[in-house]
Amino acid sequence: MAEYFTARGLPVPVELRRTPLTDWRRWTALGITLLTLYVGFRIIAIDTSRSNPAYAFGVVAKLVQWDFSILSPQNEFETFWDTAGGLMIVTIFLGIVATAIATAIALPLAFLGARNIMTGNPVTAAIYAVVRVVFTIIRSIDVLIVVIVFAILFQLGSAAGVFGLAFHNIGVLGKLYSEAIEGIDPGPPEAITATGANRLQVILTAVLPQIFNPFVSFTIYRLDANVRLAPIIGFVGGGGIGQILFQTINLLQYQKAGLIIFLIVVTVAVMDFGSAQIRKRLG
Amino acid sequence: MRGPPVKTPAAFCVPYPARVVALLSLKDITKVYPNGTRALGGITLDINKGEFVVLIGLSGSGKSTLLRCINRLVEPTTGTVVFDGIDVTAATGAELRRIRRRIGMIFQQFNLVRTSSVFANVLSGRLGYRSTWRTLSFRPTRGDVEQAFDNLGRVGIIEKAYSRADALSGGQQQRVGIARALMQRPDLMLADEPVASLDPATSHSVMKYLEEINKRDGITVICSLHFLSLARRYGTRVVALKGGVVAFDGGPAEIDERRFREIYGEDAVEVEIGPERSRPQPPPGNEAALRMLAEEADAMLPPGSER
Repeated sequence: MAEYFTARGLPVPVELRRTPLTDWRRWTALGITLLTLYVGFRIIAIDTSRSNPAYAFGVVAKLVQWDFSILSPQNEFETFWDTAGGLMIVTIFLGIVATAIATAIALPLAFLGARNIMTGNPVTAAIYAVVRVVFTIIRSIDVLIVVIVFAILFQLGSAAGVFGLAFHNIGVLGKLYSEAIEGIDPGPPEAITATGANRLQVILTAVLPQIFNPFVSFTIYRLDANVRLAPIIGFVGGGGIGQILFQTINLLQYQKAGLIIFLIVVTVAVMDFGSAQIRKRLG
Repeated sequence: MRGPPVKTPAAFCVPYPARVVALLSLKDITKVYPNGTRALGGITLDINKGEFVVLIGLSGSGKSTLLRCINRLVEPTTGTVVFDGIDVTAATGAELRRIRRRIGMIFQQFNLVRTSSVFANVLSGRLGYRSTWRTLSFRPTRGDVEQAFDNLGRVGIIEKAYSRADALSGGQQQRVGIARALMQRPDLMLADEPVASLDPATSHSVMKYLEEINKRDGITVICSLHFLSLARRYGTRVVALKGGVVAFDGGPAEIDERRFREIYGEDAVEVEIGPERSRPQPPPGNEAALRMLAEEADAMLPPGSER
C-alpha cells in the first residue's frame, strides 16, 4: 500500500507506516501494563490459604433465612421507628434532607463558581477561582471520612449522617450546577443585556430558564445517590438503618442482616428506576 | 483601557446644538481583543437620524465588533461613541443601561430564550425600564403586556404568542427578535447579520420589517449584511469594512465592480440573492408546498394589513 504514496512522491500516511507489531509505542504500553500488574500482585500478596468456604456458605444460608422479628418492636421501650422498616424510612429521609440542605447551599454558590457569570472584573474572577477550588476540595474528601469527622462533632447519630452527606454534596452539586451554568447559550444573556437590563434581570430571564431542567436533573441524580449512600454512612456512625445492619453483622445475626440488606436493595432499586424515569423525561 | 474617567457634560460634546447633529457619532474606535487580534483599527463614522446604514464586508472584517462597540456589549479599546449627545464610552452602571434601552439589537442566531414562550421573550425587551423587584415577581405591567401584543401583531405572529420560542421557524424567531427590540421603543436599531441564517424568501420578509420600522417609526437602522443585493435594495447608505477600517462609505448605487473588488478582494464574484418576486413556483397539485408558500406570503404582508 505504501508504494502508492511513494510512487507519487507523497508522504506515506502514519497509519500505513506503523503496523501494530512494528509500533514500539504499543510494545512499551504493553510492557508497562504487565510490569504494573506483576508489581501489584507481589505487593498486595494475595493470600487465599485461610479461606473457609464451608463457613461462608453457612453465612449465606443464614442471610436468606430472614428473621422477621426486626420488623416489629421487640420490647416496651421500642417503637416502630426502632424497627428495620422504620429505620429504612428514616434512612430514605436522611438522604432527602441531606440533598435539600446541599441544594440550598450549592445553588447560590454555583453562580459564584460559574466562569461566564463571574468574568468581567478581578474581584469576581477571584471569587470564582476560590469557589471552584473549595468545591473541588470538598468533593475530594470521601463522604465516609466526612461522616466520621462529623460524628466526632455531633456524636454518633443521624446529625452526623445528614450534615456529613450534605457537606460532601455541596461540592458535587456545586460543580455540576456551575458547569450547567457555564454550558448555557451565551446569546440570550447578551441580547437581554443589550436591552438595558441589569445583571440580576439578565440572570432571571435569560440564564435561569436555560438551567432549570439540568438543575432538576442533577438534583434528582444526587438524591438517588444519597439515598443509596445513606445506609452505608450508618456503618461509620451516621445513624439510620446502616447502624443496625452494622450491629447485626457484628453480633453474627445474619438472619436479621439478610433481611436488612434485602430492604436496602429494594429501596435503592426503586429509587434508581424512579430517578432514571424522571431524568429521562427532563431530557 | 479607555481615557481618564472624566465625565464630559453632554453640552460640551456638541458645540452647535442648533445644527443637524448626528444621532450616533463614532470617533477613532479601535478594538484589540485580549488574544491580540486587532478587530477595529480606528473607525470614525457619523450616522444621522433616519438613515438605514448597511454594513458590509468579509467575515472577520469587524462588522459584529463595531455593532457591539456601539452599545458596549464589546468594550472598545480606544475611541468614543456619542449617542444622541451622550458619551456612551464614559457611561457606567445605570447610565449605560439607560442608553442601552434606547438602542435595540437583533442577532444572527436570534438569541431568544429558547425554552421560554414567545410572549415572555418579547416582554423581556422591556426589562431596562422595569425594576429588578418587578422582574423577580414575574408580574409585567398592563401597559407592557399590551405593547407586547401590539408588537407581536406588527411582526405578524400574534397567534404564536404562547408557543415556546424554539418551536418557531427561523424567520418567525427573527421577527420575535424584532418585536423584543421594539419593546424598548428604540431610537436606533442594531442588526447583526439578521438574515444570515435564513433562506432568501424569509430574508426579504425580515428585511421588510426592518425597512418598515425605519420608514414608519423613523428608527435609525444599522444592519450588517452579507449580500450586496440586499444592501442595495434596503440600504440608504452603505459602509464597507475591510480589515477593521472603513473601505467605502456612500450610497448603495455607488458600489460598482471596481469598488466591489476593493471591498471583497480581487477574486470575488458577486452572488445575487433572488428578488422577492422570483420565488420558485410549486409543482401543480403539491398541496404541502402550496400551503407553505401561502404561509410565507402571509408573513410578508405589510404589518397592519388585513390577514
